Amino acid sequence: MVLGPWHILVELWKLLTPLTLLYVTGSTFIGIVIGMLPGLTATMGVALLTGLTFGLPPKDAILILICVYVGAIYGGSRSAILLNIPGTPANAATCLDGFPMAQRGEAGPAIGLATTSSFLGTVFGLFCLAFFTPLLGKIALQFQSWEFFWLAIFGIIVCGNLTAPTDPLKGWIAGFVGLLVSQVGQEGIAAYPRFAFGFDQMRGGFALIPVLVGVYGIAEVLGVMRETMVPRVMTQIHKVLPRWRDLWLYRRTILRSGIIGVIIGAIPGVGEDVAAWVSYDFAKRGSKKPEEFGKGSREGLIAAETGNNACIGGAVIPVLSLAVPGSAPAAVLLGAMWLHGVRPGPLLMIEFPNYIWEVTAMFILASVAMLILGLSLVRTLVKVLMVPRPILMPIVFVLCVIGAFAIGVRIFDIWVMLAFGLLGYPMRKYNYPAAPMVLGVILGDMADVNFRRALIRTAGDPTPFFTRPISLILVAITLFVILSRSTQVRRVLAAGLARAKVALARG
Amino acid sequence: MRDEFRRQDFYTGLILCVVSLGVVAECWRMPRDLQGWPAYASPGVVTGLLGLGLLGMGFALTLRSVRRAGGTPFGITGADVRAYLADVGTRRLGLMLGLSVLYCLVLGRGLPYWLTTGAYLLAVMCVFQAGPWWQILLISAGTTAAVAYVFNRIFAIPLP
Repeated sequence: MVLGPWHILVELWKLLTPLTLLYVTGSTFIGIVIGMLPGLTATMGVALLTGLTFGLPPKDAILILICVYVGAIYGGSRSAILLNIPGTPANAATCLDGFPMAQRGEAGPAIGLATTSSFLGTVFGLFCLAFFTPLLGKIALQFQSWEFFWLAIFGIIVCGNLTAPTDPLKGWIAGFVGLLVSQVGQEGIAAYPRFAFGFDQMRGGFALIPVLVGVYGIAEVLGVMRETMVPRVMTQIHKVLPRWRDLWLYRRTILRSGIIGVIIGAIPGVGEDVAAWVSYDFAKRGSKKPEEFGKGSREGLIAAETGNNACIGGAVIPVLSLAVPGSAPAAVLLGAMWLHGVRPGPLLMIEFPNYIWEVTAMFILASVAMLILGLSLVRTLVKVLMVPRPILMPIVFVLCVIGAFAIGVRIFDIWVMLAFGLLGYPMRKYNYPAAPMVLGVILGDMADVNFRRALIRTAGDPTPFFTRPISLILVAITLFVILSRSTQVRRVLAAGLARAKVALARG
Repeated sequence: MRDEFRRQDFYTGLILCVVSLGVVAECWRMPRDLQGWPAYASPGVVTGLLGLGLLGMGFALTLRSVRRAGGTPFGITGADVRAYLADVGTRRLGLMLGLSVLYCLVLGRGLPYWLTTGAYLLAVMCVFQAGPWWQILLISAGTTAAVAYVFNRIFAIPLP
């Protein structure tokens, strides 16, 4: 732990080669472009690039994906500020104050503040990643089959609850659909082919990347092409470099948003959009000028952008320590690590002790590239926003097809991608969040194998599921989350509280 | 409580109930003594439980949509279907989907990748009036060549 900074420097030094720097610059730029184009999300970008970089050495491929991830989460702020359309869901809160700033002629300072606060958020997140992953990894070593089963269920329930705040039932349905999708194909104990229906292709199950590219990429292509509206871009940008006074003035907001971002990132499947909203809300509550929020508040903009980028580091903490993704793009990153032979989880610190430092060094490079590109290529990037959607979207579709095909070299995967695109489109339209479904696809195997393995170990006795301390905590939180969203339970609790108050008043 | 997706929720709930019942039935048919493992470790245990969970949620979704007042009625009339089909957005969606499915159908059937992809890009950009014909032609050809070269030659990814 003490040697952590030294290890990070060593890994950073190893990464400083001309080819690596070229990858970092190129992929961060691609990430920013993907993020800033409304309709293309960070998850879709990372999923697409996972397929496209499959032929590269593992280290280069993961580096590229991390750069795309960081770049895309930041890039969405650009369209939020200039178009009032969040480039990715993570930047929805940025619209509230970024666009009013652009409307009053402060597009440049807004972009500058968004860039620097995104950088600070990412740096804060990655230091938390380097510090907390080994700690959580030590705790995770105590996890056994019972805990892993509950961890999967806990992840789905919490993620469904937070990504569908107005209607958690839809979030949970999406999560369970994802869990069921993961059950197709040969299972992990006796290799029995479930739901194959005699088709050889189905015996292997649905590959993760075609499913993700379908749910995020194809659904978005269809959604964007359905719309006829052409957004208007604010192109008058003058001074971009932020006033350092603003950053110093709002240092507490930056720190608070960073902490919130990391904590929310570490919760399975929740992700950057929730981190941005919660950071924004806390900043408004703690602000000396809350009335300025929503009307071009610099503090609001800083809070949202710090929160969503700090979430990236937080989301990777459970990826590396528990093999449970903290956000949808982190889920794809986890899938990419598996594809390239890295097995994140409790044993990572034992099998690949330097991997955490290597990933941290990759994040440092990505955040520096994001800062430099974000502050320097302002006018070039604005031109990207002007590319007509009927030109861009078919090209994206072609890339999605290659991304889905590349990993297994099977036409079947293209059809899987298309099918999940057709599922993802109505899901999005009718308020079913995609993140719990993605998390379900990732965690389904973990839930299945560990549940059955646990029962085998206890000769069919389910008691340890409810008596082991960590299991008990996970069950309690899961039940609390479900019951807290039940109207009936809330009514009973409210009635009980009212009765208790009356009883207390009577003495 | 009003719900803007009351009708959709009703039908989604019904579909979920039917699908999850199918899942549970299929799990029940799975072997319960596979390779000597006990019944509680059979392949259908967790999947069946998940199916039951989804059945419960589908039932709750349907029940909730029935109990919620207001919103659109559950029945779908001919006028509803005609209005949906006449919508510009639906037509754009149908065109994009149709062309994309056609592209996927043609891929991997012996035609060269550059031909199918170039034709697909050209068709979509023409149908959606992305710009003047020479610009569309140039972009389609350039993109196809770039995609084929970068992924096939540089990244060594086989193309469909």
